[in-house]
Amino acid sequence: MLDTIGAGSAQSAAQLGWTGVVRFLHFTPRAFLPMRSAEQINLVAGRGIEGDRYMIGNEEGFYSHKPEEGRQVTLFELETLAALKRDAGIELGPEEHRRNVTVEGVPLNHLVGRRFWLGETLLEATRLSVPCRHIEEITGKAIFDPLINRSGLNCRILQGGIVRVGDIVRNAA
Amino acid sequence: MKARPITTVKTIVAGIEEAGAGIKLFTLIDPDHWELPPFRPGAHIDLHLQTGLVRTYSLCNAPADNKRYVIAVKREAEGRGGSRALHDDVRVGDVIGVSLPRGGLGPDANITRHVFVAGGIGVTPFLSMARHLEVTEQADFTLHLIVREEIPLAAHLASLIDQGRVVVHRTSRIGRPDLAQLVGEGGSQTLVACCGPESMTSDFERVTAAWPSANVHVERFVAPPPVIDPDAKPFTLALARTGTEIQVRAGQTMLAALQEGGIDVATSCCGGICGACKVGWLEGKPVHRDRILSPYERERYLMVCVAGSDAERLVLDL
Repeated sequence: MLDTIGAGSAQSAAQLGWTGVVRFLHFTPRAFLPMRSAEQINLVAGRGIEGDRYMIGNEEGFYSHKPEEGRQVTLFELETLAALKRDAGIELGPEEHRRNVTVEGVPLNHLVGRRFWLGETLLEATRLSVPCRHIEEITGKAIFDPLINRSGLNCRILQGGIVRVGDIVRNAA
Repeated sequence: MKARPITTVKTIVAGIEEAGAGIKLFTLIDPDHWELPPFRPGAHIDLHLQTGLVRTYSLCNAPADNKRYVIAVKREAEGRGGSRALHDDVRVGDVIGVSLPRGGLGPDANITRHVFVAGGIGVTPFLSMARHLEVTEQADFTLHLIVREEIPLAAHLASLIDQGRVVVHRTSRIGRPDLAQLVGEGGSQTLVACCGPESMTSDFERVTAAWPSANVHVERFVAPPPVIDPDAKPFTLALARTGTEIQVRAGQTMLAALQEGGIDVATSCCGGICGACKVGWLEGKPVHRDRILSPYERERYLMVCVAGSDAERLVLDL
């Protein structure tokens, strides 16, 4: 398949016909506190997730002293949790990686600079997330190294709305 | 927007309860009643008080009771000031920053029997362990509480005393009990733990010296004096984030040198047992000397209160 779309082209990879799904949603109001699971979250365009620590204008996150306009919502691949178990023998739950949206079937690493639909909301991927030692401190698990290059995606919210577990994730052409 | 990083868990004092002579129970909660970071039975937290003091206290509530941290504080008039500040100055509604919980006992399916030995207010870490074991029924436990006369936190221990799971030994009446007799025979399925004054923990370590270290746990009120290698050499601390260099004199602790240099490092026990002053290191050959970091953590962190350097230069992530 791949040799039919032009080797080495990230853009081509992102244009492959992927469709993903929202599996878990989490948020927390302050640094260090456990993430709480939700059936739905409210994304506010240009600001963040209602009640979350990185909502712009009401920031209380561990990295809030380093302002970042493109960190309004964060995503993580469900597949990474399986890979952590397979490759490093580490059980990590979707509430532990501290990103907001756990998706399945979405090639997050290919989406930087691109727009995609998360349910009824439109996101623009700003950069890959990087792992931090802080998460090892919180979880007590040695996950820094295994999460390098697969630590999720930071996005800004172009069009807000309610995102629910089970929502479809798809490319915005 | 906050200019400074958030380094502590924000809590509010939701309740202050008298719990026996000179003892107060403080209940700390999240401002929105959110779940607090989880902890293991017997864990402790640092309280960052308004006065700049950082003090460590055991959590007394059960880990499953996850929306509050309860600590018991005995007012020590001649102490270092933390208990006085809490007793005299802290009110309901005050905001207190606390650390993530540390320490405590992890689950161990092999352990079927626990024997806890506590001296006076040293009972506090065993309250959360007892509550946890009572609910989970993971293993049997007996808590030997050695007091002069009065039982601390008596109301909170009453039902456990009635059940015979807490055995009170009053030294004013029977003298000090034989610790060897209390802990009994060792074995891979028995875990023994002690918290109390230094003389008691030392005796406890002596009577359990032949036990496997994994089956013996000791909590101290006050850290023993730091051990400084008499052959220690001076070295240079390079602070990677600021580019500052600080000289550490032979025999001086890294912490003292940092503080002399005006570097703000959170500390508590200053003896390598509490974990408050953990700092990342980037280059060099640290000599660790703490009793808290795992081999994996030591690859990246050291405790500045006790660690030294085996090379002339050590680069810290500060």
